[in-house]
Amino acid sequence: MTLAIRNIRVAFGGFQALDGVTLSMAAGDLVGLIGPNGAGKSTLFSVVSGFIAPDSGEVRFGDAPLDGLSPSARARTGLLRTFQVPREFSHLSVRDNLRAAAPGQVGEGLVGLFFRPGEVARQERAVTEKADAIIAFLKLDRVADVPAGRLSGGQKKLLELGRALMVEPRTILLDEPFAGVNPVLIAEIVERIRELNARGIGFLVIEHDLQALTRLVPVLHVMDRGRILASGDPAAVLDDPGVRAAYLGGVA
Amino acid sequence: MDAYLAAIAIVALIYILLALGLTLQYGLTGLINFGHVGFFAIGAYAAAILATHGAPLVLGFVAAAFFAGLAAWPIGLVSLRLRDDYFAIVTLGFSETVRLVITSEKWLTNGVQGIPAIPRLFSGLTVGIGAQLAVLAVLLAVTGAAVLAMRRIVRSPFGRIIEAIRDNEDGLRALGKEPARFKVQVLILGAGLAGLAGAFYAHYITYIVPDQFIPLVTFYVWMAIIIGGVGRISGAVVGTALLMILLEGSRFIRDVVPGISEVEMASIRLGVIGILLVLFTIYRPQGLMGDFSRK
Amino acid sequence: MFYAQLVVNGLLQGLIVGLAALAITLVFGIGRFANAATGDAMTFGAYAALLGHGLTGSLAAAGLAAMAATAALSLGSYALVFRRLAGRSAVALLVASIGVGFAIRAGLGLGFGHGQQLFSVPLVRPIRLGEVIVNPFDLQLAAVAAVMLAAVFGLLHLTPIGRRMRAVADNRDLALVSGIRPERVMVALWLLVGAVTGIAGMMLGMKTVVSPDLGWEMLLPAFAATILGGIGSPLGALLAGLLLGVAQELSTPFVGFTYKLAISFVVLLAVLLVRPRGLFGRIEGVR
Repeated sequence: MTLAIRNIRVAFGGFQALDGVTLSMAAGDLVGLIGPNGAGKSTLFSVVSGFIAPDSGEVRFGDAPLDGLSPSARARTGLLRTFQVPREFSHLSVRDNLRAAAPGQVGEGLVGLFFRPGEVARQERAVTEKADAIIAFLKLDRVADVPAGRLSGGQKKLLELGRALMVEPRTILLDEPFAGVNPVLIAEIVERIRELNARGIGFLVIEHDLQALTRLVPVLHVMDRGRILASGDPAAVLDDPGVRAAYLGGVA
Repeated sequence: MDAYLAAIAIVALIYILLALGLTLQYGLTGLINFGHVGFFAIGAYAAAILATHGAPLVLGFVAAAFFAGLAAWPIGLVSLRLRDDYFAIVTLGFSETVRLVITSEKWLTNGVQGIPAIPRLFSGLTVGIGAQLAVLAVLLAVTGAAVLAMRRIVRSPFGRIIEAIRDNEDGLRALGKEPARFKVQVLILGAGLAGLAGAFYAHYITYIVPDQFIPLVTFYVWMAIIIGGVGRISGAVVGTALLMILLEGSRFIRDVVPGISEVEMASIRLGVIGILLVLFTIYRPQGLMGDFSRK
Repeated sequence: MFYAQLVVNGLLQGLIVGLAALAITLVFGIGRFANAATGDAMTFGAYAALLGHGLTGSLAAAGLAAMAATAALSLGSYALVFRRLAGRSAVALLVASIGVGFAIRAGLGLGFGHGQQLFSVPLVRPIRLGEVIVNPFDLQLAAVAAVMLAAVFGLLHLTPIGRRMRAVADNRDLALVSGIRPERVMVALWLLVGAVTGIAGMMLGMKTVVSPDLGWEMLLPAFAATILGGIGSPLGALLAGLLLGVAQELSTPFVGFTYKLAISFVVLLAVLLVRPRGLFGRIEGVR
């Protein structure tokens, strides 16, 4: 499933947040997206996932155009996203956060819930098993029964990844998976993403932690002021004078 | 059991049904329904009108739940498009509009004069308070069934989804779930419970007028679930019981301070609810018994 | 000419709705919540005016009493309740404001009883303008409203504290970082809102009869006008109030006396669903 983003433009009032962004990644690619604050990275995620309607441009996932689809319909195609500020279901336990994400539950309908109890129970067992496997994979076992609102920032990032994994993703858009995460846990998350990628799941990763990101991705895109500034091999891209001026210059 | 206690228990169970509906809508799904009394009124009038026209009583109860649920359907569709505080205002307006309609449509509701002589349930049981106890038994059974159904919902995939809607709607959308269907269903279910409560109320009180369906009733129910702990089924029950003690207990003020008239008592109850709403909002926003978290 | 008469009647009703909506929109714009205590605060103003009018017989005294008393009540509700809820959700503040309204209404019911009370307004010969009959006393009330409105808009646009209030309404964060002291803005806001609410309550009481339920009935029309005018837009609230008042009167022959209030609900719903920013508001998310 190739994700093809073509010529996306978005303006908020007079501010041109995205100014003709074109980017594509093949199925199973592992791609990084960096840029200074306000470059439009998260806005791009919101456009691709359907939370913001672009003024122009199109998004295709595989053979299907996504334009006009709701966020939930896009997620059901296997294109998942996480959020920069985690959107955990704070009063549900970690396990229930994951179980809530499971698709195709008979017990989500009131008729099914009350008239097909056997089927509901069977699915519940399967979903719980799957959720617990993902919890173990992400090393969240210790907090499986803790309300998600009490997790640390890094654990919430893992939780969001775990929820996305419940949906049978083909491509996941990760928004700052390392923000607020301690270095040990970062290494852990990097390792998990590599393993998932080896199983064929594609990742597009927004990240400010360049060290961690360049260890992870073979391809890097740099955004600035709503445009893609440079793309390619991380080392080469980061050496690009334009990138240094716009991005690294801004940081240093 | 004497008649007074039976009467209080019946009223309490009617309020528990209302509180269960609101718990489903607000406690579990986060939908701010400030118009609960509107659905209660629809149920009461549906049952009263049918019963006074000679329809079988069971039909009246079914119609009460059905019409209240039906009225919730467009309200549910509206909820999809509004931020929660705007939705709250719309629902408040809805219940006031219901009151206008039942005041105005005299051909159907007899306007401000109200509907008198609504048949009591089990009026054949004339020995002692036999009829009252029978009503109590039926109400207990219905409320018990509602509690069981709600427990089933809370521990189900449906329950997880509605609680996820309350906690973070966008987070749920990003996982491929569409909150719309769930919100509409929850509003209809909660309104149906309120309609059922209305039918019991009409048959118990036997005489309904529009002034019984003022927004204060909605906020009695809100107060009950806030006292009991928002988002818990047990909270709806316990909170209602505490509210009843409070409201009934306030009658005893008249024993201590003689000469308080019935309208003054109404003011006192209004003031108590008002002050409690303020105090709980400031100091205990999730109620006495805890917060949304399960277990 | 029947309709011209209704328009004239509606304009005075509309002034009352507009003043109430002005109070709500100011709190909405600056305090960021829908103040459901506004209706009951109007009732408070009506009783204060009743006392002032009973003692002196003068409309000016009644107006001053309503303004002063309701401004004090308003500031009190801020100091005791709304200030403690700063930073909480709009819903928490809305719930608290309903509680405040109940408490005010309960207090009025206990203090003044539930009977209906009338202003002893002198009977004056009505003025005939062609076919339209105008009560001179209504003109006096309209004049009071005009003075109040002139004072509000003058304060908002010509004084430093008014400019600060508008700055906070425009962009709270920006206003705070640029050194505006929020506490003083809020005190000014609640005093101003109380004065406006008090005058609205007095006018309503003089046009009808005063009872503890008086103002609550005005809440829905006032909310509708607030939203129709565009939330946070004082001029919009006023114009929408006038529009709604006239629409209510004009609809009466068709839908009957009781349903004229339902017009507000229909308007409220229609505006929220079709044009949430109202007539004059900026684009603001309602969902």
